[in-house]
Amino acid sequence: MTRVFANGLRVHLLQLLRSPFDIVAMLVWPIIFASIAYYLIGTDANTRVLFTASLGAAMMMMWSQVIVGSGFALDQQRNQGTLELLVAAPVPLVTVIAPIMIASAAFGIYGLVVTLAWGRFAFGIPISIDQPAAFVLAVVAAILAIGLLGMIAASLFVLSRAASYLGVALQYPVYLASGLLVPLAILPAWLGPISWILAPTWGYRALIHAADGQSAWPQIGMCLLLSAAYVLVALPCLAWFERLARERATLRLS
Amino acid sequence: MNWLRVFFHGGLTSYRALFAWLNPWIFLPMLVVYPLFQTVFFVYLGQAANVADNTFFVIGNSFVAAAVTALFGMGQGIAGERRFQTLPILLASPASRLALFLGRAVPTIVNGFIVAAITFALGAALVGVTIDRYAYGGLAVALAASCFACAALGMCIGSLTFRTRSISVFADAIGGALLLVTGANVPLGRLPTIMQELARYIPLTHGLDAARALANGGPLSAAVPQIRDELLVGLGYFAIGLLLLRYFERDGRRAGSFERF
Repeated sequence: MTRVFANGLRVHLLQLLRSPFDIVAMLVWPIIFASIAYYLIGTDANTRVLFTASLGAAMMMMWSQVIVGSGFALDQQRNQGTLELLVAAPVPLVTVIAPIMIASAAFGIYGLVVTLAWGRFAFGIPISIDQPAAFVLAVVAAILAIGLLGMIAASLFVLSRAASYLGVALQYPVYLASGLLVPLAILPAWLGPISWILAPTWGYRALIHAADGQSAWPQIGMCLLLSAAYVLVALPCLAWFERLARERATLRLS
Repeated sequence: MNWLRVFFHGGLTSYRALFAWLNPWIFLPMLVVYPLFQTVFFVYLGQAANVADNTFFVIGNSFVAAAVTALFGMGQGIAGERRFQTLPILLASPASRLALFLGRAVPTIVNGFIVAAITFALGAALVGVTIDRYAYGGLAVALAASCFACAALGMCIGSLTFRTRSISVFADAIGGALLLVTGANVPLGRLPTIMQELARYIPLTHGLDAARALANGGPLSAAVPQIRDELLVGLGYFAIGLLLLRYFERDGRRAGSFERF
């Protein structure tokens, strides 16, 4: 199982690194989101505020890559006729799907680097991280948690090709509910509890706290706790949707 | 008569194929939920930054919804022929190229218009934007002009299908750039001068200007110059698109590359 997981990670990362669409999208979108934020906030604003906006844009891209990129990655498997083989492999489906999700989230590191570099070189926003070690750990925890949150949606992606388009629709609602770029304080109060169960909320806060020199451990802990919770939810979902897909014979339908 | 048959039949079939052979479940998340939440997101971002009112962002993102629909729709309408290996058959036919590609543009323009109208209606209802009902006629004209201009840009992108395996890369990047450069989400005055200058030659910019002027109570006559400029930009891209298609078709015939994947 460990070999399947590690190989899955490696293969999906290699595919991402050779996909012009993913490489260009991850280059362009963080720049667009970050630039919109900078111009709206004002390029002469406090650099710390602008740096926080950069982190928000990077976290947005991480979530988008997981929810959209992995949906289309599974669709690609379906088109190539390899999804059936993956599902039929004598290992739990989670060990096949989880690497796709986590590799997609890890690809978000590229988005983070692009965003920070764009802010630094185009807008002169200093990259100032007070606790580098905690920041790196926060990135890893965010990748894990966001990837595993995507796995819950992935169970739907296995069922039907149309479901992968649901991922496109889920981008902005999660940006909003996680308080990425838009502060939760100005959003309706009922979004508060929803934000607590979303990994990007805690990943983003962990990054900000580590960068600002505050303790990021509670936020990193929340990422890990949520990761465990997502696995508990995703396992039965995956099993259920896999059975449905087999019953309806939709794995091959492209 | 044959020209009209190619125009209507070809356009309609191509449009149906865009939704991977009539799957309504693709329309709802892609063209209703996504642009609606994009609108809400930028409305709140605008509120947080205290830059412009909700109307600015609702109009901006409704137009962007139409633009993205037109860019991808028109682009994929041509690229899909290559993917499904019908491009050589299509180009071997003696049908008028204008009828072929204009026929593919019209459903895309109508689709973009409908998507923008849905986004505007739902977005305005959600964030409490009201516009004088006398402005709706002018808004519709401005939107139609922008949909045409974006479909024309989509045709330029679609022509690249002769040279590249996937045009989604270009459509996605350009669709994203429209969010920023056209003033859809950032008032043009806040952008660098070079971007403001560039924006004048990009679809949406003039249409958005006209729509916002109308939404603020301006008369239609005052918005006519912007609508005219939007149409001129669209005509420019349409001409470039047709030329590119003709050039790449000739080149593809010479190189025998229509089926090269």
